[in-house]
Amino acid sequence: MARKMTTQRRALKGLGNGVLVVMILWTAIPFYWMIVTSLKYDKEIYGYEATLIPQRPTMANYATVFRETPYLLYLRNSVAVAVGSTILSMIIAVLGAYAIARLNFPGRALLARSLVFTYLVPTSLLFIPMFALMSMLRLTDSLHGLIIAYLGFDVPFCTWLLMGYFKSVPVELEEAARVDGCNRVTALLRVVLPMSLPALVVVTFFSFTHAWNEFLYAYVFTSTTSARTVTTGLVNFMSQDVFFWGPLMASTVMSALPPVLMFLVFQRWVVKGLTLGGVKG
Amino acid sequence: MAISTSTTVSLPIPSSRREMGWGERVQRALTHDRTLGYLFLFPAILVIVGLVAYPFASAIVMTFQAKTAGAPGRYIGLENYRELFSSEQFLRTVMNTVVYTAVGVGVKFLLGLSMALVLNQERFCNNLFRSFLLVPWAIPTVMSALNWRWIFDDASGLINNVLVRLNLISETISWLSDPNLAMLSVIVVVVWQGTPFFTMSFLAGLQAIPKELYEAAEIDGASVLQQFTNITLPRLHPIFVTATMLSAILTSSAIQFVLILTNGGPADKTMIFSVLSYHLALGGAQRLGMGAAVSLIFFPVLVVFIVFLTRRMLREKGE
Repeated sequence: MARKMTTQRRALKGLGNGVLVVMILWTAIPFYWMIVTSLKYDKEIYGYEATLIPQRPTMANYATVFRETPYLLYLRNSVAVAVGSTILSMIIAVLGAYAIARLNFPGRALLARSLVFTYLVPTSLLFIPMFALMSMLRLTDSLHGLIIAYLGFDVPFCTWLLMGYFKSVPVELEEAARVDGCNRVTALLRVVLPMSLPALVVVTFFSFTHAWNEFLYAYVFTSTTSARTVTTGLVNFMSQDVFFWGPLMASTVMSALPPVLMFLVFQRWVVKGLTLGGVKG
Repeated sequence: MAISTSTTVSLPIPSSRREMGWGERVQRALTHDRTLGYLFLFPAILVIVGLVAYPFASAIVMTFQAKTAGAPGRYIGLENYRELFSSEQFLRTVMNTVVYTAVGVGVKFLLGLSMALVLNQERFCNNLFRSFLLVPWAIPTVMSALNWRWIFDDASGLINNVLVRLNLISETISWLSDPNLAMLSVIVVVVWQGTPFFTMSFLAGLQAIPKELYEAAEIDGASVLQQFTNITLPRLHPIFVTATMLSAILTSSAIQFVLILTNGGPADKTMIFSVLSYHLALGGAQRLGMGAAVSLIFFPVLVVFIVFLTRRMLREKGE
């Protein structure tokens, strides 16, 4: 009996290793192709002389991106929008989540419910009226407009995530602080927030990468170079009908790097936060 | 001593009643749960109403209008809906969206589950593999769509390049413009990017199952398969439901993959509702009402998922 079990286990382990190798290749090959293309001269990218491994690696495509496109401007815009919407949604969410988690007032449960509900309504249902609204408020082609629009997603999600975390902070600690002269606001700042650091990290990660990765609103609300973010800027490179895959892949590599690095650094917390809610899938 | 204390204490009270300073008033309000609660939630409520509820309501109104951007709409009743339901393109879009979502989510689910089971085994450097397999989830969808468009490229893309080298094909395959292959190719990309979400969710679920359960089953002589069907599957069931529903909402409404890879073509073979909605509303003709109607027709289906998920996500938070 016991021997049968170990052979079974060993077989499973072998199968698992096999599957793992396939999965790693499946995940890695697209990354490989993206990076390798960005390092090749056109001669090795197109036609009969195309190579699978670059013979003469070059950074020329990266130079082209910075020299001939407004990529730096797109990058700056993406950073501005991501930082702006992260800070704003963080403040709004911390206050809202604290109210739902700790304060007792009529309508609390209803508000919690509507927050989650709105988080789940996809933007593809909202972008048309949002476009009309943004045009009306003259917020199209503006970074402010994008920052505001992203709150519609970030605030519900962050509030929901934080409110669970705030609830897990022992009430007694807060009560003790209030006996020592803290009011609600100082108790929130000095007791609840420091104890919720992991949740704040997750919330920062999610709102930052969401703003960085967002495409639909950015695509619909901007029509000029001045307010384009990285995602829409790259699609614009592509749709100009001339496919310079070398520079395009170079800018793709650079644009994918910030969220990937953030993910790798914060992974431990992110995975925990994601399993509670999830963002894209 | 006792007398002097009582006088100093009783004095400030009447004076504060007569003229309460601004600071004091704020101090007081901050001790009331009700005032403070609404005050704290006010910005969040503003966001919900202004950026979700109002746009959503105006989308409903728009579907009954002939409206272009910047101009006020003209009421036309159910005309938009009537036109949609008699259009072959729309009916094809409904079918495509269902197939795209069902196949995409289904494959992601199965691959994600296998990945999670494999990563849950003990092995050398497992954490490293775990991190690496999750990376596609972190990169912007636009970037992976662009990258895959290049991988699928007719003349010089990776797939055709390799297939020609191996002499498996004599003519290159048009992965994205062949009517029979386009949808399949798009789904491949959706799966590549979306599988890690399932992997992550399922892996977390697997790790939450107490080891003792398996040990007890082992002692009772249960086979690995029996352990899987009697312990693993039932324990993961709640996560299966949540992850699948969340993914169904997001997959069906994601616009980037199709927009970048095929733009709905060839001959509407990959047209899904978000892309059709975009084309109608913002692609030249600017029929905002029609565009809004396309997305809203799908809302009744989505709302079932949304309501269910809302309940479940709140229960998790003890609400």
